Amino acid sequence: MHHRAGERRRKLAAAVLGRDPRPAPRSPEETEPFDVVSGELLDVSPHLIILETADGEQRRLVIAPWATAWRGGTVAPADLPAGARIVVRALRGGTVAEHIWADITRITGVIREVGGRRDLTVELDCGPHRRERSIVVPYRSSGRIRVRHPKLEPGYLFDAIGLLDQGTSLAHLPATSQPPYRATAVPPSQVTYGGSETGISGTAVWADLTDLTDLPGFAGAGVTEGVAYPMLERDETGCGDAGVSCAGLPYLALGSVLRVRNVCDGRADTLPIVACGCLAGQFCDRCLECGTSPRGRIVELTASSYVALGGDLTKGCFNARVGLG
Amino acid sequence: MLSTIAAAALPILVVTLALGGVAKLATVGREASPGALARLGPAVLMPERFAKAAMIACALVEFALAAVLLVVDHPVARWLPTVFFAVATYVLWDLRRRRPDVGCGCFGDVSDTPVGLRSIGRAAALTAMGALVGAEGLTGLPQVTVEIAPWIGGGVALLLACSPEVDGFVSRLRHRTPCEQRPMPPGRALSRLRASAAWRAQAGSLLADEPSDMWRELCWRFFVFPAQGDAEVVFAVHLRGRRPAVRAVVVGADGQVVAPDGRGDASLRESTPVSA
Repeated sequence: MHHRAGERRRKLAAAVLGRDPRPAPRSPEETEPFDVVSGELLDVSPHLIILETADGEQRRLVIAPWATAWRGGTVAPADLPAGARIVVRALRGGTVAEHIWADITRITGVIREVGGRRDLTVELDCGPHRRERSIVVPYRSSGRIRVRHPKLEPGYLFDAIGLLDQGTSLAHLPATSQPPYRATAVPPSQVTYGGSETGISGTAVWADLTDLTDLPGFAGAGVTEGVAYPMLERDETGCGDAGVSCAGLPYLALGSVLRVRNVCDGRADTLPIVACGCLAGQFCDRCLECGTSPRGRIVELTASSYVALGGDLTKGCFNARVGLG
Repeated sequence: MLSTIAAAALPILVVTLALGGVAKLATVGREASPGALARLGPAVLMPERFAKAAMIACALVEFALAAVLLVVDHPVARWLPTVFFAVATYVLWDLRRRRPDVGCGCFGDVSDTPVGLRSIGRAAALTAMGALVGAEGLTGLPQVTVEIAPWIGGGVALLLACSPEVDGFVSRLRHRTPCEQRPMPPGRALSRLRASAAWRAQAGSLLADEPSDMWRELCWRFFVFPAQGDAEVVFAVHLRGRRPAVRAVVVGADGQVVAPDGRGDASLRESTPVSA
């Protein structure tokens, strides 16, 4: 499924149902998303950061005096190493860096095997697109990971935020409280009838969607915007775990456009569905960023889209509301 | 006789108008999902930023009409509800042609079923009731007598029979999964498509028997077939019911609509802005 094909689907659906193919404009209570620049860090000084984006463009950003950076913990922006993969939340048309996350990765999957005594090595099954992944829970963070993940046993879900260090994924922070059930026993959704067909609230999380190299749409690594959505049809996506969700989501297709709104700060954007959120559908958790969200993950955003909507990558989620764009 | 029916129609009109107004205001206040209002009723025909205002205005007009029926004793005022419902009937008819995927929004987001003949029939029935009340010149709620009561029952039954919202309540009572969440194999939609009139109209121009692309969005399943002249025929099949709504359109290689379906609306295509 190519990104272009998604656009074509949108046009054809709009033609046959007489819709306006353009995304609907923002409503007055919604604010614009942040500018986000992501890429490889080339050079950094206390006041200037230079990075190369995925399409080879060099960007220079002024670092705001109040800017903060994260690389396994809060660091000064000038201490970031060259070559780091960074995501920058920027102001003023993407020229002033306000918040920088470096080498951050989201480790979400089903535990296959746990080994090691001090530093734990965890083999994860990250779904048909992300395949298997081996990660390390360093001894210094194993305490806080275990508090939120009491069952580090095969068959249970795992979700943490970590650091990519020389090719190794080190888990640093738990991204959620581990669901108490096995990944194969996702509780069924509460069927809600009536109301608007597309009124969905829940939690929005982020994922390393740009790592999905075996999805043709990502071959050029140029797709930085978009969402993964759990309720897709299995035949279409080639993903055996699709079509599972505890949030009571409606069926959509690759290429459908969602309007995602961050309930906490009102930022909203229209984003296309670019992948199947097989793992997102298995988590029945709530987000506590601002109030308690209804349970269930409704979308997995790319890191850039997540930051653009006002999310903090070191916190795993924000309360979201989703409509069909 | 006519005055008896008119006396029965008056309370029905007042209650329907008030209910519609309350439901619309509740929908605006709740706004279940971003952009949901823009997919309900007449609000889709105007720019999205006015959708909320349009919904509120519509609700206020309905309250005003209900009040007019109860208290104002003037021949012109008597006919206002008739005009309102006649316009509503036309708007629903037009909505069904232009945007077959949106609900009528008559009772807010409860009325999210795509506009069908039942919704239009209900608006027409209300127009007729309004005309009767206007012709008889009634004001204020009449005494409910033994003569009037059966007519009220009949009117309510007629409106309920014409209300697609009732199906939703029944499904909810039966705990049925709503159609947008119900898994449905593509083969079933394809066989329903092949039994439809839209398919027969287009079948001659199709180059392949199997769709080149198909996908599902909410309650619609889309099929794309390659057609003669480097064009594509796009079918949209609604997944509710045994004889579902089927729409078809021929799209040229450049992505522009060549010919809309049998219920033709060339005028609509001319008026729809196509981004260059």
